[in-house]
Amino acid sequence: MADEIRRMTAELARDPASLVFLQLGDALRLQGQLDAAARVARSGLERYPDRPDALDLYARVLADAGNRRAARETWERILTLAPRHVGALKGLAYLAYRERDYDAALDLLEMALSEDPADQAVVLALQTARAAAERQDAEFRVRTGADIFAGIEGADHAILLLDARGLVLGGVLRDLRGLVVSEAVAAYVAGAAQEAERAARVLELGAWQTLECEGTEGHLHVSPPASDTILLVQRDRAVPAGRVALLARRAAAAARAWLEAQAG
Amino acid sequence: MKSRVVEPWLLAPVDRFVRECGARLTLIMTPSGQVLAQHGFTRAVEVMSAAALGAGIAASTGEIVRMLDEPDFRVLNHQSARHGIFLGRFASSRGPLLALVVYGADTSIGLVQLFFEDLVADLEAAAPVVAPRGPVLAADFERDLNESLATLFR
Amino acid sequence: MKPERLHPALDRITRVRGVRGAMVVSAEDGLVVADALMEGIRGNAVAALAGSLAARLARAGAAAAAGEQRFVHLAADGGALLLLPGADGLLVVAVTDQHVNVGLARLEMQRAAEDIA
Repeated sequence: MADEIRRMTAELARDPASLVFLQLGDALRLQGQLDAAARVARSGLERYPDRPDALDLYARVLADAGNRRAARETWERILTLAPRHVGALKGLAYLAYRERDYDAALDLLEMALSEDPADQAVVLALQTARAAAERQDAEFRVRTGADIFAGIEGADHAILLLDARGLVLGGVLRDLRGLVVSEAVAAYVAGAAQEAERAARVLELGAWQTLECEGTEGHLHVSPPASDTILLVQRDRAVPAGRVALLARRAAAAARAWLEAQAG
Repeated sequence: MKSRVVEPWLLAPVDRFVRECGARLTLIMTPSGQVLAQHGFTRAVEVMSAAALGAGIAASTGEIVRMLDEPDFRVLNHQSARHGIFLGRFASSRGPLLALVVYGADTSIGLVQLFFEDLVADLEAAAPVVAPRGPVLAADFERDLNESLATLFR
Repeated sequence: MKPERLHPALDRITRVRGVRGAMVVSAEDGLVVADALMEGIRGNAVAALAGSLAARLARAGAAAAAGEQRFVHLAADGGALLLLPGADGLLVVAVTDQHVNVGLARLEMQRAAEDIA
């Protein structure tokens, strides 16, 4: 590589208008000689200010030097000159990936691949970005509790975990029209749980375990799976109360496991 | 909103009562209308008015009860469309006292009465022992009333 | 409401094994209408707290579109509180130990609610 750099440097010295500056600048960049690479790129841009590959070289050098804002502006400028420039699309995808905006990265890479289906770098980058996006989704589900009750009947519409203040920790509750009513129900259920705790205490019944309410349209089963948390399981009236209790026990175990994972 | 009390020992029992029964307004006062503790009031004039009216209601109800040859009333309750007004009379080491409580639809007379009994017991348990007082002069009463109102809005 | 039927109705509930007391409560006020309680049960406390619990749970049920309340069972370590809404804003309440046959108690509470309506 050093010999090649010397050769290209000599050629550029002989002919300053030569496009060899493009390969020379990239070679220097890959060697980590970012200052030299930047000088070569800027010098080339003085002669070829609107040449997309010259701008692309400069943007790569800027990105490697940590100047992501300037790199983004340069790549975006390329796209105004050549809207489907693969280098610019890859460059912006790289910046999006670094910022954990995997959806944007995937969109840009797919555009780049459609321009040049044989670009193996793009294919590999797509695989990497997709894996990162899937990991991010999984982390989101764990963080927000969307998967707390996965595998339990009603997990997607009839089980809710909340804290003692009535704020939703995970799960989701939908009404008969399919609308999400989690927040409103959580607030009221927390109030009912507080009253259950107080009634059990004042009446000297011991620590409260469950609060079951049978309505004309459905059952509500409320219990404290762990301290300062409340679990609500809702079922249609056709489901026997015993079965609701069984589902609630399974949901409570899942809630405890998730809470322990959060604490750990 | 915090409760305001003339003497510190009143604070915990009054706070607990308000918290448990969900009262919106509470006055603890003597039958003559001297306020010892308040919760929920924002202006002195409101406290004075409520205390005077409460004391008046207690006095006239006491008279009716005596006409019926009974010692005195324990509790009475007025119910309006959106609020209930509860007046409870109780003995304490400080002499007879009244609790005037205004509550809304988010609680019930049952809860107010339930926790009123706890309040009475808590106040009795918290009250420090004091030496017997001499007769109260009118000037002293006026001064004491003004001082207690100032404390209640500090 | 049929006042003369109150106490016989409550007596039948208390005959269920494990029931320590039965009451009819004015739900909105949380006040006792009639009671049949064993020693040590604070009737005014049961009434007030039962009324409040039923009201809060009714609000939760309405938000969750569970319909009108038919029966409430608060189970605790050392006992249970059973609530069954009746007519005219009344609540039939039973205080029980932890071994009570809830189904049987509920049946008698249902009969009581029908009797006093």
